[in-house]
Amino acid sequence: MSDDLRAAHENIFLPREARILHTARPTASEKHFTLQMADGEPLDYVPGQILEVGVMGYGEIPIGLASSPTRKGSFDIVVRTVGRVSTAINSKEVGDSLWVRGPLGHGFDLDSLKGQDVLIVAGGIGLCPTRSLIQYILDRRDEFGRFLLFYGARDPLQLLFTEDRVEWRASKEIDYHETVDRADVTWTGNVGVITTLFHKTTHLDPNTRVVICGPPVMFEFVIKELDQLGIARENIFVDLERRMKCGVGKCGHCQINDKYCCIDGPVFTFAAIQELEEAI
Amino acid sequence: MAKPKIAFFDFASCEGCQIEFTNFGDAATLELLNHVEIVEFREAMTETTTGRIDIALIEGSFTREADRVRLQQIRHRAKYVIAYGACACTGGINALKNHQDDFAEYVYGGDARMPHLRSGTAQPISAAIKVDYEVKGCPMSKDELLLVISNLLHGTEHVIPTYPVCVECKRRETICRYDEGDHCMGQVARAGCGAPCPADGIPCEACRGFVDDANLPALEKVLMERAGFSQKRAVGKSRMFTANLRS
Amino acid sequence: MGYLYLEEKDFAAFVDALIAAKRVVGPTAKRNKFVYEQLASADELRLDFDVTILPPKKVFFPPAQDIVRFGEQAIEGCIAPVDTVLLGVHFYDVKGIDMTDYLFRERKEDWNYLAQREATTVVASNIQAISPRAFWDSVGAEVKPKGHDAFLTKLAGGCVLETLTPKGEALAAFGAFRDATADEINAAQQTNDSVMGQCSEKLGYTSEAIAAKVRDSFDNEELWDELAMDCFSCGSCNTVCPTCYCFDVKDAWNLNQVSGSRTRYWDACLTREFAAVTMAGGDKENFRERHQSRFRHRFMRKTAYLNEKLGGPACTGCGRCSQACTVNIADPVRVITAIMEVGS
Repeated sequence: MSDDLRAAHENIFLPREARILHTARPTASEKHFTLQMADGEPLDYVPGQILEVGVMGYGEIPIGLASSPTRKGSFDIVVRTVGRVSTAINSKEVGDSLWVRGPLGHGFDLDSLKGQDVLIVAGGIGLCPTRSLIQYILDRRDEFGRFLLFYGARDPLQLLFTEDRVEWRASKEIDYHETVDRADVTWTGNVGVITTLFHKTTHLDPNTRVVICGPPVMFEFVIKELDQLGIARENIFVDLERRMKCGVGKCGHCQINDKYCCIDGPVFTFAAIQELEEAI
Repeated sequence: MAKPKIAFFDFASCEGCQIEFTNFGDAATLELLNHVEIVEFREAMTETTTGRIDIALIEGSFTREADRVRLQQIRHRAKYVIAYGACACTGGINALKNHQDDFAEYVYGGDARMPHLRSGTAQPISAAIKVDYEVKGCPMSKDELLLVISNLLHGTEHVIPTYPVCVECKRRETICRYDEGDHCMGQVARAGCGAPCPADGIPCEACRGFVDDANLPALEKVLMERAGFSQKRAVGKSRMFTANLRS
Repeated sequence: MGYLYLEEKDFAAFVDALIAAKRVVGPTAKRNKFVYEQLASADELRLDFDVTILPPKKVFFPPAQDIVRFGEQAIEGCIAPVDTVLLGVHFYDVKGIDMTDYLFRERKEDWNYLAQREATTVVASNIQAISPRAFWDSVGAEVKPKGHDAFLTKLAGGCVLETLTPKGEALAAFGAFRDATADEINAAQQTNDSVMGQCSEKLGYTSEAIAAKVRDSFDNEELWDELAMDCFSCGSCNTVCPTCYCFDVKDAWNLNQVSGSRTRYWDACLTREFAAVTMAGGDKENFRERHQSRFRHRFMRKTAYLNEKLGGPACTGCGRCSQACTVNIADPVRVITAIMEVGS
């Protein structure tokens, strides 16, 4: 094949090299990477979009971007060690490279959030993809109304982004509440499932835009609370998890009905998926 | 970094899996020897070792209490233990005797009382010691063993397919045994072997064991309805390599 | 574009001339079955085939295909199309190819498929023998076969080649073709019309009616439990399907333990872990845990989910799944008919 043809026919599976600028270990199982594309090109993305992140020889996995495009020069991901690929990624250190494809998928619809009150409900590692949106809103605070964040984790040791949370607690720009399912001796905050946080704050306007990201079991209970508050399902955005193997709407693994989670999502309005069998 | 040391050990088995390893051929074996050092391998070399080893490859099933000590010593010396071949992973063919008591007379006749035939039940190696990885099959799949070793060298784990042999037969466009009036157990047999047997016109005997959630009632049905088996034969058929997994 | 005619005595020379110039893939005999293989000579070509074990999609989308190769530092793609003639494709498989063309092209173009597709001249051929499980004459009538470059119809004493694209026209240079007469063109049309209605299996409902009823049956757990009771989750129905295109991706190192490849393999949504995600602690969250829900997913995909995109059902009536299922539960005619008869 000629070089011209090769250039014209971009290989959607060819990853690009990203260098690791910084790492942190927020919990025993999670690793936080700050990355930069090796070719110096900025990553042009929207909060909620994903990257396929991999190590050659081990494979690649879908990871939500955990930083905001408003913060230029680098981007963040947080990877939890669960299997073969994530273990390989989390063994990498500053100066090493990861191989990434993306940004991929459909992120948060910023136009429908702008000018509105926004509530983000994040459970566990679900805080990572929503951190992108949190930073975005804080960086462009004037463009949004009231801003609330509910964050829940299994226990205090699982809580992510300690520095961020210190900042959010102190900030007047964000109405931040957190909870753990099980407390330990150090914990003085709220104990209980994430829905208990709805009673810790003043009444939410029914026009509030709500973003939910967390384990599948969390959705049902949060939606029930939102129904009671009269929040329309068109205004509820959910960030779904599936086996997004190829990330480009081909391999079929993340298919829900006629939608591909990786390309039609991972962010969907609840209205769009509530009638889709097997979605929630 | 020194090359990882690999040693081969055998218990109750035909040693066919060691032979299968030698079938890699010279080029592949020499390339592999750039990355590992083989320190003990009865089928291919005379040297043995008592020192530390990185990877112990154990063939054969655990059939007598005396072998437990030898297995424990191997475990103690080895960083990783790989059980390879059906006998080591499940008890294999040897485990058929666990369900019978007349096999010695049947096979050896007047010599049935030879002392070395007095062994206990055939069990997998994992019944005696902790096993880190398994390479299933009778014989083991040499390509899979290579993948397991390759992944170990890279600090990770080879993922064994969870789907059945039919997937691999179809991928290589093998004519289904049932379409040739034969029987087969590829529908419930764990894949990863590349389905060589049906491609050579031999039914799959599930030598790598069954997939999880194997639909055995449906297997019996298809063995009876399409291969013309009696119910007894249909039920017994699947036991050849899975005797220890069945009641 | 037009109609050409080739005398039977000149046909082998035509095929051999093609083989001398390009890679030619066509139906060949494999004991009592047929498979698409690269031809070494014209006498291997068996245009009297009824159906092949695997559909011709394997020419563009092989069961295992490297998509990236890596060395210690660099990586590279491996798109390397070969000039190919795919000779002898029945119209139902032409439909299947057209569907996978659409699916690999939509939204994000996958040149790992499309490059070989564009480098291939697809020559359809008339059906000379009918597979006992086929029902191509009663499914998806609204989906017309398209995307092929030429259509070859065998008549007594010769064959008519209808050329449909410049790639198809270019075939004429390889044989002693002349323009076909009106009688020959009519005879070819009649030959192709005459096979319609000849399949022994029949689907007695419209695509719209099937899509609506299958969708409505989603929550009828009892029905799916019964239909899927004997399912092995073996994925044979997926693997032989001309419109199944799901794949898994795996990395492996070469023997030198430094370089290696990222390879995609045909996958099957009927297999147990197709929709499973590894969660914290190594646990699996399986979004289609039960074999009944995987069985149902396949029928939703074949009869309803993709219809809007493809202009009709993602089933071409080739009957390969019916043949491949050892326990005979995958047959779309049997399953769809059972669903349609519920409550009627």
